[in-house]
Order: sequence, then structure tokens, then C-alpha cells
Amino acid sequence: MKALMSLGALVGVVGLLLLAGMVFDIIPSTTVRLVEGYMPMQMLFEVGCFVLGFTGLSYMLNAVGMGIPRFWQGIGFWVFFLLYIKYRIYPPIPFSVRAMYGTVALVAVLMWLSSNEEDWKKFKQPILNVLDAQTGFNKFLRYVYLVALPILTWGFSYNAMMPKSEEPIELRTVHPAPPASTKVHGKTYVLQTALNPYRVNPEGKYDQEYTNSLIVEQGMGRLMKPNANPWDENATGYLKYVREGGEIFFQNCHFCHGDNLNGRGLHAFAFNPIPANFTDPGTIAQLQETFIFWRVAKGGMGLPNEGFPWASVMPPWEQHLTVDEMWKVILFEYWHTGYYPRTWD
Amino acid sequence: MQKRGTQVASLVVSATAGAILMTVSGTAMVFAQSGIPEGFKKGELAPPPSPEMIEAGKRVYFTKCVWCHGVDGAGDGPAADRLWPRPRNFNQGTFKIRLTASGELPLFDAKKPIPGQNDLFDTVTHGLPGSAMPPWEGILTEEQRLQVLAFVTTQLVKDRSFTDKQSETQTVLNLAELKPKPATEESIKRGAELVVEKKCIECHGVEGRGDGNAFNLKDDWGFSIQPANWHKCWNFRGSRQDPYNVANIFRTFSTGINGTPMPSFADSTTIDERWDIANFVNSLCERDAKGNPLSIDPLTDKPKIDFVIPSNPVEGEIPADIEHEAWKNTPRRYVAMGGQITHKPRNFVNRIDDIWVRSLYNEKSIAYLLEWDDRTKSVAEGKLPWAPTEVNIDIEEQPPVTGEEGSIAAKQNNYPVYNDAIAIETPVKWQELPAPIKPRYLFGTNEQFPVDIVKWEADGSIRAFKGTGWDKDFEERDSYEEYLKVLKSEWKNGRWYVLIERPLGNKKEQDYDEDTFFEVGKYIPTVFFAWDGHNGDAGRKMAVSAFYYTFMNPPIPQETYIYPVLIAFGVVFLEGWVLTRRANKKKGKTL
Repeated sequence: MKALMSLGALVGVVGLLLLAGMVFDIIPSTTVRLVEGYMPMQMLFEVGCFVLGFTGLSYMLNAVGMGIPRFWQGIGFWVFFLLYIKYRIYPPIPFSVRAMYGTVALVAVLMWLSSNEEDWKKFKQPILNVLDAQTGFNKFLRYVYLVALPILTWGFSYNAMMPKSEEPIELRTVHPAPPASTKVHGKTYVLQTALNPYRVNPEGKYDQEYTNSLIVEQGMGRLMKPNANPWDENATGYLKYVREGGEIFFQNCHFCHGDNLNGRGLHAFAFNPIPANFTDPGTIAQLQETFIFWRVAKGGMGLPNEGFPWASVMPPWEQHLTVDEMWKVILFEYWHTGYYPRTWD
Repeated sequence: MQKRGTQVASLVVSATAGAILMTVSGTAMVFAQSGIPEGFKKGELAPPPSPEMIEAGKRVYFTKCVWCHGVDGAGDGPAADRLWPRPRNFNQGTFKIRLTASGELPLFDAKKPIPGQNDLFDTVTHGLPGSAMPPWEGILTEEQRLQVLAFVTTQLVKDRSFTDKQSETQTVLNLAELKPKPATEESIKRGAELVVEKKCIECHGVEGRGDGNAFNLKDDWGFSIQPANWHKCWNFRGSRQDPYNVANIFRTFSTGINGTPMPSFADSTTIDERWDIANFVNSLCERDAKGNPLSIDPLTDKPKIDFVIPSNPVEGEIPADIEHEAWKNTPRRYVAMGGQITHKPRNFVNRIDDIWVRSLYNEKSIAYLLEWDDRTKSVAEGKLPWAPTEVNIDIEEQPPVTGEEGSIAAKQNNYPVYNDAIAIETPVKWQELPAPIKPRYLFGTNEQFPVDIVKWEADGSIRAFKGTGWDKDFEERDSYEEYLKVLKSEWKNGRWYVLIERPLGNKKEQDYDEDTFFEVGKYIPTVFFAWDGHNGDAGRKMAVSAFYYTFMNPPIPQETYIYPVLIAFGVVFLEGWVLTRRANKKKGKTL
């Protein structure tokens, strides 16, 4: 038990030092990187680690007789969480969202503190002590609070009322509801039934299982399977179409969506929101191939209102590409990211 | 040496550039005989990578790199013809960003991924900002990056060998042990003198905006190449994602950039002088109002963007002098510009990649001060073949596959010259749009959601248009033009300064149905367009920004002073109540 708790304490201290170092720029802020596409999981994992670390730390401090009172533990953890979501998460999230997380965290802390009567009493005690002001120090504290609270409230409300020019928050639906069918180059495609004509096995039949076995491997780098090189001179069928799709992607799409399909292309920095990151499990991995076909063909202009047409510079690709070219690009995007298109069943 | 001589000779395209280059290659000859230049030390070629690594690297290459660099590494992948700079052709073994002496191969050791000791590894890790080469850190593992380089250096570099001790030497800049000189005023001042003395300004321009000799320079592959703009250090190829680090500039200045007209100054300057120059160049890079480096967005490696352009109120006339205090005190905003790649003709290479915007307003008008770097002042000769209102004009889009000769990189020098221009677009009746709706960023949506466009061109004209869709010709608002004023338009040393004043609108004499009404304290969606005439920009071939907001800072309302005081008193009462309650409760208990 003791060894386990010491380990926890060690993790906690190292984590805190790392975090503080990164926030104050003592060590490079990229020391522990946010892994692309896995940020929420990583955040949860990191906070979990810190909780374990704090538990260990608290145990160790108690063991050497320097335990921190419940009251300060609660407040300390809450403050830690607020600072964590403010400084750790990148890109930064707006204050209103942080306020929501902060409130949830506060409720969680209060629940933890009031989980049994004794703990709750221990938590309340310092507050009541100051209110009752039995000792000289508490008396002094009480006067400090009496004076400081109104002044602080005045300061905060003054600050809040000063006219400010912060960018208004505009939340937008990332994957708006698609139409039942879409008409591209004079032909109507029903999204439920249309199939990518290039997702085929060597017999020329539509075959997800076969094509999925040839896509890029998941894991760092997302490299192609050693025996499935689209650039092999003898590549035929699916792999040849992947290469052709890649050629089209790199002649048209990489300017925004990037060489690694992660939305960091040459022009990406100028746009808001920045272009979609296909390596993120929340984009094409979540969607049917026909949905992508509709989005590619109609672009930002074809978005319904909740998707904010004006916030997208995505071209209606039907202006630039043929239907075949669009299907091939989609084939390539799934190949390169190593994701399976979602199916209807 | 012989080889470099011929390379250099092929570069001599203009008299001035040629003169500098000859001097430098002349001095290079001297150092070959006399030993190692100051700050360098002898290095060893690294041992060759293992065959397993090369094989593994091939897999990385054909997943990630082949798309730009091509099957044979000749820089002719599918993406190449629409890119400028073109992807690197590895075959010659010419690599730009190095710690090794001019003309030498870069440092590469497949077993030593140590930053600052492995040039090619650093390049793959951090990418080459300002080009299409992204940073691969976080995408490829360290191992994978070394593997792919093992493949590139052994299989795709064909004219030279990274292991041939007979033909290759390594003379390495000892950057780790050279301590940067503090960027004192004195050092910067000396640097400023040295860039004149060493003729840096002949290419990089008097203010260092890369506008000297901008279109007469060619690289080893025959493509047009532009001198770096010292004011945008985040676009330095060798910035290693650390653009304000003076050591990067020191390195580039010491070793030169192979394959380009940028020579090494290792033999013609002392270390001390090189630090002075590096400090000066670094001091030119854009900084915030307090003189601190701009914060760089780690996702894009460009300055962080604030989408709100605040406009400060002024009493009386808006000053036309941009040095006026009012202009100095109003915050400026970095507006990022991307190529218009939504509709034909798409602009794959936009030479204008940012604009600095400031704004002031008085009771009648709002003024925008737009400053942007453009290496060339472009004014079309003669009359343009289309009317100012025409949108669907006949400009060719770069075809996807052309081969080197027809590529976008080869065309950079040969575009017909049109007018440099800038435009500000705001929605008409933005107040009446239902909440999430704005007109489309590109020339508005339709008659229902039109936009108000004010466009200035380098021929001195200022025009007002109404836009009703990306493919609809503009409608001219003739009657409005008399209200528009160009308070200043000047091109100086690679930078345009344009100051446009327009009415706030919503006055009786102006038509509210056609013009944007600029209301104080409201977020007015604003888009910027820019055209570089020497890039053949006209019509939809242009650079575009995202939607920004013009926000006219209101005078501080009285409530701001009153309410907080009231709230503070409320808190005092609350405190009294809590204390009394607690005291009563306790009394009750003890009683």
C-alpha cells in the first residue's frame, strides 16, 4: 500500500512540476504533446493521473504528519482543475465553456467533501471558525474578508461591465444532417444506397472487407501495409484507384486539408474554422462514404443553415472535378487515414 | 568546387546579383585553400544506414512523401506543378537548410536524431514554413523520420553520395558552442550598417521586405525565387518552428542556402559581425505594441489571430498621417490571407499572405489603415480588357499536370501585370440577418443577402460595388463613390500603405439598402481581399481572409461606474445578514 501510494505521490509531483514548467515556459511547452485526434481521452487520462497523484501525495503527507486539511484539499483541487483547463487545453476553449466545466468540477468537489457527515463537518469547520471569530487570528481574518469581498466584487463587476471586444462565439454544427439524395453532374445519388464505384475487389465487385484489408495501418505514422503500395507499378484495381485519388487530392485538396490530411495545409492558417482534420476519429471515420460524397460535391455552399455556409471555404467540387474523381479522392482519404467508412447497418 | 562554379554561373541573371555572387564564390575558393572559416569545425561523414532502415524508409516515403517529391525523388509528384516553391528535387543532393559549409551535403546520421546536429532530421521534424512541407513531428515517430531519410539520402540522392569520403567533406558550423551576442541597441545598429555594407539589401530590399531584385533571381533548378522578407520570420524556411530565435538567422547567414542565390558569408564576415547582422534581421520581425515577439500558434506556426478589429473613436477629422498618435494608439490586427481556392480561377499561390489592419472612426466615417507586404508595385499598363464590375473574367487557372516547364513555379516571372488592389467586404443590413446567417464570404450570397464591397486599386481608383454572389458581376454604386476617400496610398520598399475612409452609413443622403451601416458597439462581419498584380491576380484570382469583425469601441457608458458600486454595497449588506444570523443561531444554541 505504502509503495503504491509513494508511486502515486511521485506521479503527482512530477506531473505538477511538468505542468507548471510548461505553463510558465521554464521547459518547452511542447514537452508533453497533445496527441492529435485523441485530445479528450488524453485530457481525461491526465486528470485521472493527477487525481491518483494527489491521493498518493495526500496519503504521504498524512503519513509524515503534514496532512492538508480537507478544506484546502477541496479548494486546491478545484483551483487546479480550473488552471488545468485554462492553460493545458489547446486550442483554448472559451470562457463560457470553461465556466461550465468549472461548475461541474465544483459540484463534484462538493459531493466528494460531503460524502460523509464527518468529512463535511471537517470542511465546514474553517468557515464557521472564521464566522465565529473566537481567536484573534480568526477575528483578523473576518475583518479582512468583510473588507475584501465587497472590493473584489466591485472589481469583478466593473471589469465585466467595461465594454470589450471579444470575438463572439458562434457554435456550428460540424456534421449537419445530409439530404436524402443529391444531384451531381446531372445524376441523382440517393445517399442511403449509393456506393463508391471504386471500392472493389479484383473481380470488380463492391467489397468493403477486401478494400479495408488494404488500407493504411492504424498507429503512429499510419503507414501503408508493406504489400499494398499504391505506387507499385503493377498495382491494379483498388490500389490503383487509391493512387489516382491521391493524385487528385494532392492537386486540389492538400492546400487546405494538408499533406497528412490533418487540416494543416498551406492555406489553412487563414481560415476560421480551420479545415477538417480527417485523421481525427470525429470526422470521416464517423461518416458514411455517401455523406462525404455529398459534402465534397456541394462544398460549403451546399451546407444547410445550421452548418453555416459562410464559415466554410470548401469549394463545391462539382465545379472542378468529375464524379469519378470525387469518388477516387474519397477512396484515397479513407485509405490514407486508415479508417473504415461507416456503413448504414 | 568546379561544380559549384557552374551552378553559380547559371544563377547569374542580373548584373547586381551576379556581382555579389562572383565575389562570394571567389572568396569560397580562398577558404578551400586556407582552411576552415571562423566558427566552423571539421566534421565526419556519418556511417551509412542499415539496409533494413532503408527498406523501412521506403514504406514511409511511399505513404507520405511521394505525393509531392515523386517516385524518383525528382520533386515531380502529383502536387508539384501547382506548388511554388516546388517540392525539393532530391537527385542533385542539394539541400537548403544546413549547418555545413556552402556547397556541402547537410548533416545526416541515421542513428543520431539529436536536434541541432542532424540537419535533415530537423527539417523533417519542423518542416519548412512558408512552403508546403509540414512539420512531421507528432505524425511520424522519430524512428520513422530517420528511416525515411535513410531511404532518401541513399536511394533518391543520385548525383552525390552521403558516404563517399573522396568527394564529400563536412565543415560544420559550431552553433552549439557559439554564444549569441546580446541584441543590444549597439549590436542592432551595427547590423543595420553591415547589411548595407555586405549588400544584403540589394536582394532583401532597403527595409528587408525581400523586394530588392525580387524577380530576377533563379534557383539551381531554374525556377524564380524570392529573397526572404525579414519582417515575417515565421515564414523563414530555416526557422525550425522557433522563428524569433536569432541562432537560426545566424546559421543561414553563415552557411548560405544551397541551390539558391543566397551565399554563405562565413568567409567575408567575422562571427561577431554575423551576430550583429542576425540581431538586426531578427529585430525587424513583426512584434506587438510592447515590442515582444508575436505569439505563434503551434497549430499553424503563424502568428495567433484575433478576429476582432477594434476601431477607436477620434474627435474631428480622421488623421491622414499614419504616424499620428491616434493611429499609433489603436491596436493593429494580423489578418491572415489564403489563396482563393474555392471557385475558378483558383489562386494556388497567393503572394500576399497577411495584412495588418488598424481602424479609427469619428461621428461620420470609419477609416481602415491597411498595410501589407508586396515585393512589387504593380500597375497595369494601358486599359484592362474588362470592366471593373466584371467578375467572370478570362484568367487561366493553373492546370493540375503540366510538367516542370508549365508548372506554376516556372510561370512566376511571366504573368501579365495587373493592378495591385485591396477590398473590404461587409454585409449590407447585417443587423437583419437571422442569427447564424451571414452572406457567403465570397462576394455575397444573392439579392437577399448582398454585400457592400469597397475596392481600391493601384491605379488610384476607389470604387464601391454591390455583390450578390460569387459568379455574379458586381453592381457599381456610382453615387456612393463620391463619399469614399483614399487618405493615403503609397508603395514604399516592398510595402503598401493604404488608408481608406468611408461613411458610417445610415444617414438620409446615403442609401441604407445598399450600404453597410457601421453601428458602434456591434460586431460587423468584415472580409478582406487582396490582389498582387505581378502574380497575375485579377477577378477571383486573389487572396482572401476569413470573416473578421469590425468592432467600433463605444465610449464607456455611465452604468459601468454606477452598478459595481451598488453591487459592492449589496455584498456588505449580505455580509451583515450572514453574521447576524450566525450570531443569533449561536445565541439560540447556548440559551
